Amino acid sequence: MKSKPVEKKRKARDEESDSEADDELANGLFDGVLEASEDEEDYIPSDEIDDVDSESEVSEGSEDAEEEEGDDDALLSDDIPSDDEMGKLSKDAEELEITEPGVDPKPKHQEEEDRNYKVVKDANGGERYVYDEIDPVYDSDDSDAQGPVNTIGNIPLSFYDSYPHIGYDINGKKIMRPATGDALQSLLDTIEVPKGWTGLTDINTGNPLNLTQEELELVRRVQHGLVPDEGYDPYPDTVEWFSSKQETMPLSAAPEPKRRFLPSKNEAKQVMKLVRAIREGRILPYKPPEEREREEEEKEEVQFDLWQDEEPAAPNPMHIPAPKLPPPGYEMSYNPPEEYLPTKEEREEWEKTDPEDREKEFLPQKFNSLRKVPAWGTLVKERFERCMDLYLAPRVRKNRLNIDPNSLLPKLPSPAELKPFPTVVQTIFRGHEGTVRSVAIDPTGVALATGGSDGTVRVWELLTGRQVWSVKLSSEDPVYTVRWRPTKDAFVLAASAGEDVFLMVPPHSSVTPTLDQASRDVLAAGFGYATNGQQPATAPGKEPAGKWARPGTKLEDAGVLVRVTVRSAVKVITWHRRGDHFATVSPEGQRSSVAIHTLSKHLTQIPFRKLHGLAQTVVFHPLKPLFFVATMRTVRCYDLQKVELVKIVQPGAKWISSLDIHSGGDHLIVGSYDRRLLWHDLDLSNRPHKTMRFHPKAIRAVRFHKGGLPLFADASDDGTLQIFYGKVPNDQLESPTIVPVKQLKGHKVVNQVGVVDIDWHPREPWCVSAGADGTARLWM
Amino acid sequence: MDEPMNDAPGAQVKVTFTTNEADLQLPEEKRQLLVPADIRRYGLSRILNSDLMLDSGSIPFDFLVNGSFLRSSLEDYLNSEGLSLETNLTLQYVRSLIPPVFEASFEHDDWVSSVDALTATSPAGRWSGENFSRGQERILSASYDGLLRIWNTSGEVLVTAPSASHGGHSASIKAAKFISSTQIASTGMDRSVRVWKYTDPGASGQAELKPTLELYGHRASVDSLEVHGPSKRILTASADGSVALWSASKSSSPEADASLLPNAHTSKRRKVASSVTTPQRGPLFLMQIHNAPATAAVFDPRDHTVGYSVSQDHTVKTLDLTTGSVVANLTLSHSLLSLCAIPRSNGAPLLAVGTSARHITLVDPRASAATTSVMTLRGHTNKVVALAANPENEYSLVSGSHDGTCRIWDLRSVRPASGGESEGGVGGNVSEPVYVFERESRQGKKKSVAGEGAKVFGVVWDRELGILSGGEDKKVQVNRGRDVVRE
Repeated sequence: MKSKPVEKKRKARDEESDSEADDELANGLFDGVLEASEDEEDYIPSDEIDDVDSESEVSEGSEDAEEEEGDDDALLSDDIPSDDEMGKLSKDAEELEITEPGVDPKPKHQEEEDRNYKVVKDANGGERYVYDEIDPVYDSDDSDAQGPVNTIGNIPLSFYDSYPHIGYDINGKKIMRPATGDALQSLLDTIEVPKGWTGLTDINTGNPLNLTQEELELVRRVQHGLVPDEGYDPYPDTVEWFSSKQETMPLSAAPEPKRRFLPSKNEAKQVMKLVRAIREGRILPYKPPEEREREEEEKEEVQFDLWQDEEPAAPNPMHIPAPKLPPPGYEMSYNPPEEYLPTKEEREEWEKTDPEDREKEFLPQKFNSLRKVPAWGTLVKERFERCMDLYLAPRVRKNRLNIDPNSLLPKLPSPAELKPFPTVVQTIFRGHEGTVRSVAIDPTGVALATGGSDGTVRVWELLTGRQVWSVKLSSEDPVYTVRWRPTKDAFVLAASAGEDVFLMVPPHSSVTPTLDQASRDVLAAGFGYATNGQQPATAPGKEPAGKWARPGTKLEDAGVLVRVTVRSAVKVITWHRRGDHFATVSPEGQRSSVAIHTLSKHLTQIPFRKLHGLAQTVVFHPLKPLFFVATMRTVRCYDLQKVELVKIVQPGAKWISSLDIHSGGDHLIVGSYDRRLLWHDLDLSNRPHKTMRFHPKAIRAVRFHKGGLPLFADASDDGTLQIFYGKVPNDQLESPTIVPVKQLKGHKVVNQVGVVDIDWHPREPWCVSAGADGTARLWM
Repeated sequence: MDEPMNDAPGAQVKVTFTTNEADLQLPEEKRQLLVPADIRRYGLSRILNSDLMLDSGSIPFDFLVNGSFLRSSLEDYLNSEGLSLETNLTLQYVRSLIPPVFEASFEHDDWVSSVDALTATSPAGRWSGENFSRGQERILSASYDGLLRIWNTSGEVLVTAPSASHGGHSASIKAAKFISSTQIASTGMDRSVRVWKYTDPGASGQAELKPTLELYGHRASVDSLEVHGPSKRILTASADGSVALWSASKSSSPEADASLLPNAHTSKRRKVASSVTTPQRGPLFLMQIHNAPATAAVFDPRDHTVGYSVSQDHTVKTLDLTTGSVVANLTLSHSLLSLCAIPRSNGAPLLAVGTSARHITLVDPRASAATTSVMTLRGHTNKVVALAANPENEYSLVSGSHDGTCRIWDLRSVRPASGGESEGGVGGNVSEPVYVFERESRQGKKKSVAGEGAKVFGVVWDRELGILSGGEDKKVQVNRGRDVVRE
């Protein structure tokens, strides 16, 4: 905006200088009008722009004024001039500006109202303003006036060439052009050059300008670019009044003024004033206008603070505070004690090791001062790795109970306190071909009977392992089980081979002729009973539950006296404690799988018309007329007198393999093919009191010690026996103490079968196991 | 200042010799001696035997230091115990036990359950007195095949007892003993005790073994038999829990219980057609005193009217054999399987009891004894089923076990038991075997589990023949220390 009028103006001036003679006035007039209007236009915006400048000028001015003593109070009270003051000052400035010529348009309007001139035609026919003579109101008696002083100002005198006058004096009277002599006179004048003649005319007076010698000299010096004053030496030798040299006699003895070392209060005030202004935002730092403009534009852009209204959230429950680092040690110091500095070997070793394997990430270094410590070279790398760690391996809070696992274990007595129990194998009974299927120690604790897959029953001397008797019951079927009749009044062994149960009296050192006879009588008693015709009549055409017969001379000579044939292969024989009854289980026998045999009557009965599941094993209660039948999943307890179901025990096993009852009659242990050993308290619950898993393979047999020792054992297919201490308290309220005390290893596993059967000595803490490796072992 | 001296080759140790043997006492002033530190048992023995000391000729000595035998040089012993060479060592010197060396083994057809020796110094030889002639040393073995065999010392069977059909045992024999040079008692699983008349072949004649008496009374296998020659008494222990005293003479024996005789109830099938009829008699006393199989019974070595019996019911009973009553009862904590009485000069014998818990307990049977369990001997790995005292002294014994070893123990070598180690609880002493010897037949074979095939069933220690042991390897094995038997 601004550049345009300037250009026009310049153009006008050019035109003016070009056509000076022709339309000088018209141009001038036009020029003036233009200028005026332009000035007006110019002025208004410039007023705004210059406002700040003028203000600052004024404030500067006011500050100058404030320096004067009188204003000290005001300054102290209010260092920064208030807005009112500032306004007043700026008004003053405006008034001041009015006085400037050619700025304010006001006088123009007045001029038009009462014009004091008349327009006449000049010689060239142009308009000419003839002003009225200004009558000065006062009489000028200025005696000092040295003639008229031309008041035309700084305009070339040539403007007046066409006029008889050359300007106006202070009273507006024309100063007439001094009379010019003719050329001769002029020549004469030149010949007789008065002193100081220059040939120039004084523009103010029109008289010949005479210059004195001094003036001429001055002009000459100016023309030559010299310093006008002749006596002035622009390059005097410097006199170093104040030098670094300590003068013995200083120029001034005055003590150093306080201002040299005291910070100026005034300066401080000024600075503070500026600081406050900056703080309050009244003084903005300088910025180039383009930047300022850009900022203003940016200011206008609407920017949203997305998180403006966000409440500070409670810390995340998964927030994990960073682990606390140990405080820095001496080795981390920039100037550690010498002993922390690595030796040469240490340094080499450190450098040799892989960065990941290093114990420390840095080597202690010694610097004389902190500023000599270099920047941490691996900072960026470390930050990056840290970020990678956080990204790839975020820390996760693990909910972990801080409990010592050992404290959760029940307080069990140490096995050493629970002695005696069997610990090592002491006798190995070798002789059976193939698996030893069953073992039993006779009630006196002297003889051991075993039955094996080879179809033989053998009797051994328990301590020495000497085989004293053997009989082959069957050439095809294995002897699944051998059980001694539990009383001492007869020496009778029951063994099963296939569908037959054989009852025999093995010739043994303990069998005196009397005992032998007694045993034979016990076995033979039923024959008389049968022949007496008291056998319950079986339905015609229906096979009797069991056929009692003599096994034949060959076996009878060997001592096998009775054979009972049932409907399917017998796997389990269990004697009643009195020795008159025994129960057999043939798991494949369907309805007739469980049979109870009465020895004295040679009678076989099938107590259950229907069984829930396959019968696995049976056991008589040691004291009451109760009978436990284990099917695959449950153990059922029947009352034999009332002929009713008393209880169903659910061990929770998938396939029960074996069952035994404590001599007290209230506790039951159940072994299962799914590797569990379950202890039941019959009074307490139908569910197991304790479940034990000590074997990686199926449990085949479980057995309580019947001679008063608090022991029981299981036999597993992994070839081991586990001996337990199982104390049944006299007090009904206490729970039994069950402690595993010993694992007996020794049997070899053959075809996935380990230990098959187990029996305890009637008095001692000795047990006998039957293994698939063809041996029976005595452990003590 | 001692260090250089210690390292010097001539370092010396101050020792004090002591002994409990009355005939080998040193004079007071000779008991302390400076000996070289690197001296061993042999050197010390030489010193003691030298003219200046005992002047005893050449008795091999063993030295007990703090209850254990010195088996290395003195220096090594001190080093191993962490003692300085300055220590004054007290060495108790005892007559040495010479390591038993295998001499011979006699083959059998079946397991050997029991052995006995007949020599001039054996009990039977002593009881025979004049009847026993030198050079007539015999070894008696009882076997599981039901036969008795009598061997001479060169390993020849002189005579075998008749089989069951000729008046012999109808089942395995478990024990047999010489009563005198002409009489033998045996017993076994046929529940009978048999007395045999043995006729020694002498120079050229035929040896003979004739059954003279069958004694019935026990109702189960008879596992142990002890004899007293002068009174011709036999003491047996049976698996039915009874202990019986028998007389070896027909005239002094009562009639047998007819129901126990083998042909009492036998049907025709079981009748044994015996070609020889032997008198059948019963026991003097049959004491049904144990609740479990009685495993051993012995006479008191001084007094044959006192007997001791042990049983699997954990008890040791002192028996009065004149009345057949139990005098004292002692209960231990394990099944007891074997017993021998070690005579003591100062009163009642010490009973060594072998247990099923693999150790030997020494029991003082006197009721007045403060501690019943004197000492526990540990080392066997299986049941201890045979025990025999050293006939020469009262402080050593040999044990046979089902683990296939015989072990010789010296009761002087003891140390106090740490907690729970001894049989009788706190305060007992324990000891380790001095010598262990295995079955010669198992030599070089792998040590079997549970002593399979090597079990020792019977052992006897004879002054002249050494240690005889029979076992599952069907052999009688003779082991003898070179100088154990002194002429």
